[in-house]
Amino acid sequence: MSAFDLSEDQQDCLQELINVAMGQASDQLARYLNTFVYLKVPSIEQVKSDQLFDSGHQNLEAIAVVSQGFFGYEGIRGEALLMYQPQDSHRLADLLGYEDDEMSFDEQIIDLSSILTTTFLNVFASQIDNQMSYSAPRLISANQGMVSEHLTQQAFNWDLALKVRISYQVTDYSFNCDMVLLIPEEAIINIKTVIDRILEDF
Amino acid sequence: MLDEFCLDISNRLNTGILFLDCDYNIIMWNRFLEVHANKNDNDVIGKSVFSIFPELPRKWFERKLSSVIQLKTQSFCGWEQRHHLFELFHSRPITTDSHFMAQNCTFLPVEISGELEGICILIEDVTDVCHYQNQLNKALEELALSNRIDGLTQTFNRKHWEECLAKEFSRARRHQHDLALVMLDLDHFKLLNDTFGHQGGDLVLVETAKAVTKLLRMGDLFGRYGGEEFAVILPNTNLAGAEEVAERIRQSIAKNTIRYQDRTISVTASIGVATIDSIDTRYEDLISNADIALYEAKAKGRNRVCLAKETLLA
Repeated sequence: MSAFDLSEDQQDCLQELINVAMGQASDQLARYLNTFVYLKVPSIEQVKSDQLFDSGHQNLEAIAVVSQGFFGYEGIRGEALLMYQPQDSHRLADLLGYEDDEMSFDEQIIDLSSILTTTFLNVFASQIDNQMSYSAPRLISANQGMVSEHLTQQAFNWDLALKVRISYQVTDYSFNCDMVLLIPEEAIINIKTVIDRILEDF
Repeated sequence: MLDEFCLDISNRLNTGILFLDCDYNIIMWNRFLEVHANKNDNDVIGKSVFSIFPELPRKWFERKLSSVIQLKTQSFCGWEQRHHLFELFHSRPITTDSHFMAQNCTFLPVEISGELEGICILIEDVTDVCHYQNQLNKALEELALSNRIDGLTQTFNRKHWEECLAKEFSRARRHQHDLALVMLDLDHFKLLNDTFGHQGGDLVLVETAKAVTKLLRMGDLFGRYGGEEFAVILPNTNLAGAEEVAERIRQSIAKNTIRYQDRTISVTASIGVATIDSIDTRYEDLISNADIALYEAKAKGRNRVCLAKETLLA
């Protein structure tokens, strides 16, 4: 077991924090989007950075990725990647409440990503008495074939990635998107410290 | 004293700070905005942001701010999606082609002891970034294009054309679709070069490419295979269909008279046609089948179309 692996207790605690964060975030989202948003319990898995894009994404070419950095106190920081299958992304403008011609597709997924990431991480941060700041979200590439190329070319500085899969379902249509939180090694140690403190208090 | 210092710093920042209340009235802005918007402080404070900046897309802006207010979370607007929100002047009007400042805007909820007081908009000048990124994109596009195109005839070059063939070949294989290949070679081109000079020869290549291009459908892939040899990939086309296309190409080239230095150049082409066959396992086999048919067309007296025969494939 490396210094970056989570113990079973730590893993459970993190899952709980994320579940609560997701629950509150989806509640806020539903009110903002003025529609019924149904979120499944997010699945969380730890992925080694070099395996991140190996499994579950046979169809990587078809994905648009939006990246947004986050950073809080106590060295909690990382990068959130939101991954979309383009076929799921029709009518996003409808969902977000914009007129059809008001926003390009790129802008829609950037907007949605930013909302998903920040609402989720804000709640997550407040649970651990922290506060997050965010960099501007960036579309890495929506061009088919470019994303996997881009991602595999990056020499990752990340040892462990926390992959949180969220499924969004809205009453009259549904789409899926994956939120992947990439957390560099020092930040993992910092998260473990925070989790340990919560476990002690418990 | 610290307040004074903060005010001073905010006025020295090279970032615009615009503070709105929840009804979109301007409560405060910093010097950066005052200067770049070229408006007087007194005419701005207390006014609606839409009256001071009428260029704002109002519905979009209100929806954007409503997410900040309701979710109490920050929101962004980047130059890549919207070049600018506010029509502000910038510091490189001469050396860039941007009329207004390219902007990255951040919308922050301002909470005072848990109550939302308003929204702070940070406006960064990214005209530089935008300018260099656009130049880079343009250069990359040109590079990608010149990497695919034959400089003389403006058709696909051999390398790109062959990549296309490899793709179409495996696609046709996978979906069991038809795929045809037409290879054409201009007749007696060396003689033509000797008679009219290389510039005359070049013109014939250019004009021939134009004539062929006119006959092709969307999805057909036309490239210069070598010297005076061209090739057309015809996806979803069987042998009969490809023969028809080849025959039209042959006639069009034969009818095409090219004016060069007050003289008329006529040229004909020999054409070989092949289609994908269960025996072909590599796209190169398709090329050699078309090549054999082309050779046959030459041997039978040129200016004609020959089809690859099943027997030749065995």
